[in-house]
Amino acid sequence: MDEEIEHDPILGYAALPGVADEMLDARGEIKPVWQNLIAHLSRLSEGDLYERFARADRYLRDAGVFYRTYGGTGPGGTGERNWPLSHIPVLIQQDEWQNISRGLQQRADLLEAMIADIYGENRLVQEGFVPPQLIAANPEFLRPLVGVKPVGGHYLHFCSFEIGRGPDGNWWVLADRTQAPSGAGFALENRVATTRAFSDIYGETHVHRLASFFGAFRDALQSRKQYPDDRIAVLSPGPANETYFEHAYIARYLGFMLLEGEDLTVVNNRVMVRTVAGLKPVGVLWRRLDASYADPLELDQNSHIGTPGMVQALRSGSLTLVNALGSGILETRALLAFAPTICRRLLGEDPILPSIATWWCGQQSEREHVAKNIERMVIGPAYSRLPFFDDNSQSVLGSSLRETAKDTVGDWLASEGAKLVGQEVVTLSTTPTWVDGKLTPRPMSLRVFAARTENGWEIMPGGFARIGTGDDVAAIAMQSGGAAADVWIVSDKPVSKSTLLPPEESFTRNMPGSLPSRAADNLYWLGRYIERAEGALRILRSWHLRYAESADPNAPLLADVTRYLKSIDMDMVKAVPEPLLANINSAIYSASNIRDRFSPDGWLALTDLAKTAKRFHEAAQPGDDAAHAATILLRKLAGFAGLVHENMYRFTGWRFLSIGRHLERGLHMTRMLAHLSGPDAPDGSLDMLLEIGDSVMTHRRRYNVNTARLTVNDLLALDPLNPRSILFQLNEIRTEVEKLPNAFENGQMSPFYREAMRLHSGLAVMTPETMNEDVYRRLEKDLENLSDLLVRTYCS
Amino acid sequence: MLYDLSLHMGYTYDVPASGARHVIRLLPLSLPDRQRLIAGSVTVSPATDEKVTFIDFFGQQATSVLVRAPHDRLDIRMQARVMVEAPTMQADLSPTLDVLRKELAEVWSVDPSSPHHFTGSSPRLPEEPAIAAYARQAVKPGQTVREIAAALCTRIHKDFKYDPEATTVDTTPKEAFKLKRGVCQDFSHVMIVALRSLGIPAGYVSGFLRTIPPPGKERLEGADAMHAWVRIWCGDALGYVELDPTNDIPAGSDHIVVGYGRDYSDVAPVIGVLKGYGNQKADQAVDVIPVK
Repeated sequence: MDEEIEHDPILGYAALPGVADEMLDARGEIKPVWQNLIAHLSRLSEGDLYERFARADRYLRDAGVFYRTYGGTGPGGTGERNWPLSHIPVLIQQDEWQNISRGLQQRADLLEAMIADIYGENRLVQEGFVPPQLIAANPEFLRPLVGVKPVGGHYLHFCSFEIGRGPDGNWWVLADRTQAPSGAGFALENRVATTRAFSDIYGETHVHRLASFFGAFRDALQSRKQYPDDRIAVLSPGPANETYFEHAYIARYLGFMLLEGEDLTVVNNRVMVRTVAGLKPVGVLWRRLDASYADPLELDQNSHIGTPGMVQALRSGSLTLVNALGSGILETRALLAFAPTICRRLLGEDPILPSIATWWCGQQSEREHVAKNIERMVIGPAYSRLPFFDDNSQSVLGSSLRETAKDTVGDWLASEGAKLVGQEVVTLSTTPTWVDGKLTPRPMSLRVFAARTENGWEIMPGGFARIGTGDDVAAIAMQSGGAAADVWIVSDKPVSKSTLLPPEESFTRNMPGSLPSRAADNLYWLGRYIERAEGALRILRSWHLRYAESADPNAPLLADVTRYLKSIDMDMVKAVPEPLLANINSAIYSASNIRDRFSPDGWLALTDLAKTAKRFHEAAQPGDDAAHAATILLRKLAGFAGLVHENMYRFTGWRFLSIGRHLERGLHMTRMLAHLSGPDAPDGSLDMLLEIGDSVMTHRRRYNVNTARLTVNDLLALDPLNPRSILFQLNEIRTEVEKLPNAFENGQMSPFYREAMRLHSGLAVMTPETMNEDVYRRLEKDLENLSDLLVRTYCS
Repeated sequence: MLYDLSLHMGYTYDVPASGARHVIRLLPLSLPDRQRLIAGSVTVSPATDEKVTFIDFFGQQATSVLVRAPHDRLDIRMQARVMVEAPTMQADLSPTLDVLRKELAEVWSVDPSSPHHFTGSSPRLPEEPAIAAYARQAVKPGQTVREIAAALCTRIHKDFKYDPEATTVDTTPKEAFKLKRGVCQDFSHVMIVALRSLGIPAGYVSGFLRTIPPPGKERLEGADAMHAWVRIWCGDALGYVELDPTNDIPAGSDHIVVGYGRDYSDVAPVIGVLKGYGNQKADQAVDVIPVK
């Protein structure tokens, strides 16, 4: 009994002086909305609690939820880190949330009115509400979009807001996000993970579900299509982006395509996606890349991730962008200073939710106010689009300045004022988080999402809470490195339990849409790299097994195979060589470009393979040790192949992966036979070929003779039943190619299909005696040409 | 003056380019009381699959073209007849720097003609402390904005050597300033950065300049090139003034305006995106022929 009390998580929890707390009211009592959760937590032993936390973490890890960080070690200098979930949700009572929602709906309307004015009539400047510099000198003022009215009339369709609660208990808007708001997908994942930990509590608490919000937004985007065959897609800057996981997740969740700039092309003023079945029109793009990168022709000319002609398509009114190009200007920090008066001018109302007090130092009286109150100010760049708490490197906290520096603030503001804003330091509320075995108050802010639907702005009932790492409640302390928590909006009454899954009676079987060419390309190369790694490993294993016996790398057979390995760029500096790792990394890179089509299990299998290979590369010694390492790696490869084979939906994407594997396997075998099956090949070559081709047993059973050139040719090149033979690969390729889009054009075979047929039948009629090095070399060329033809036909 | 202009830009690709999309800005502007475009056309070969014209933010006509099929040569031609009025001499009505600052603050507009577009930095022209220091040295107390601009124009003309080999189209003003060499684009960029550092709104003008052959020599055909100079906002009363730092002269009836922008990136005559892997070579021929 005593022990349980000791673990009661609420003991010792108290609000910080002068700071509002989410769980405790002003008298220090637990707010009613929290009572059930806290009662449950009190009943759990510490072990139970950690077991529940672990369940949530396991879900996130298994789902492959990650957050990309710049400056890491992965491809392109980036790394992935696990999503930092703070397990205790933040609970907010529904009535309070309704007030917040009304405030944010009004704010979204205000932002829409502002952006329409900035890219339209510009009355706000003419009437003196917004200083002209803040528009004209703003890098997010995209002149090519001035006067371009969005189809349907709206610039904004999806926004997010950062809000925080001040010491008086009222909520403040800290920042508006309109360029490419991120986090909605993470909010969903937080919810799923948190309910893994607290399914029982969640079940008996009336928590508003998130699905209906996404459903309404999906329907709204559907209704934006102008033509029935228009596609809807999420436009991502690509896997190097920090929130790429979320782009893939949202696309998969809502059933939209996930595209990058190079997937798109503009034809007669319409944006089209390149697919393996040809160009298909795109009517709505949910844009997750910054506007200036969207079109190298009319926006940033240095962009490599854009679509030339997109602005032209927008001018002609054939595309809805979520949000319109140029909306990023609304995030400008200095504009916050003018939001309250603009709200009165454009909407004729006072703001329901105040925004953080901001002064643009380009005006004299504002400048003087900031200088006089420097202790309570944070000063930062006027045109920055980052909220000040995400921008510590460029923002200066007035109270942190030395006394001598404070005297010169006036001069600084006078000379640089137009480039600076002062913002009043906000004190945030705290919320309970689990630190060192007990609940501890930590500062938090909320990110909340708004989607435009048929019925106006809908606010997500929830969002995610950003939790600070220390107990500094100044908003500026909310920097990277903190955690995220789920937000539960709790009703007194049962809530509707909607899901995005369609009701059973409306069941239809949707065939997957057209595969984008870039995805096909990545799947094809993933197949090839995986098979290439396997081929190399098989040779390396045989080499090391023989080396273990003779310990002489210059023995004729070993020297000959080393030469062969060199000819396929596989050096032997290390027992498990560097080029093999590069190969596996290429496979991972290809896979990373198609995360939306890739199961988390497959991804785990691949990254695990890379990790193991790296370890062996560093440690394995030539001989038995390396042969053993190769066996383990081959087993892991087989595991990955099994996942693909057993679990991947057999549609176009799978076909490209499969063709890649068979083509590479055919090439591998062809090259090996060309090198090792000739009359001059060293002793033992034929046995080694059989071993590499995994066909020793079959050979023994089928031919009942010693290994000979003819039987090896027969089994490894021409046997249609041996899954390692060249003919087998060509047969598989032909079968898959037949099912690809456009295999027949106007009743005739496409050039690619014809070539696949020709290679297959050409080899099928050969006999073992006619197979020699020349024939193999010719076949090698043919296979390489077939690959080029495939890439040209489907992947560009 | 009445001019017949012709321009030819050719691109040769080592490896054939395909899916080539270009935005072309070559046709001279019509400007009230100053310049009138009587006739003009832009043609592209090989034949274009798409061709759309639009007017950009600063009022210039742009042509967007697509050539889909692979091609190893692209030719862009512009022909125009333009009437240019002789400028009238204007009294210097410009204020001093402090007054200019106040007048600028009173301009509540971001229309294309607003001076606010031409302050601070722009895509090609970040602030450069070295150029700012150079600009400060050129200013004498009590000078008007017009006088300051003219002094800077003369100074750059004197300090910089015209040298087409020294810089490329991508040279930054910082590099050109260090070299003290370059072509009209570099002269103009440096002068714009200098003026803006003093708080004087300044923009970039692209166009053509009639070249007058040395006495006794024939005019060489195709020897002209596109030209660039600087446009300065000299306050409410005087408005914009154009100066040519490459020749240290005000823009006059030998200067034919094609486009206005914040810097070269706004008025680049050809911006292209194409699929191709090899190198490309460009050639250019320009003729500015006075009709009368």
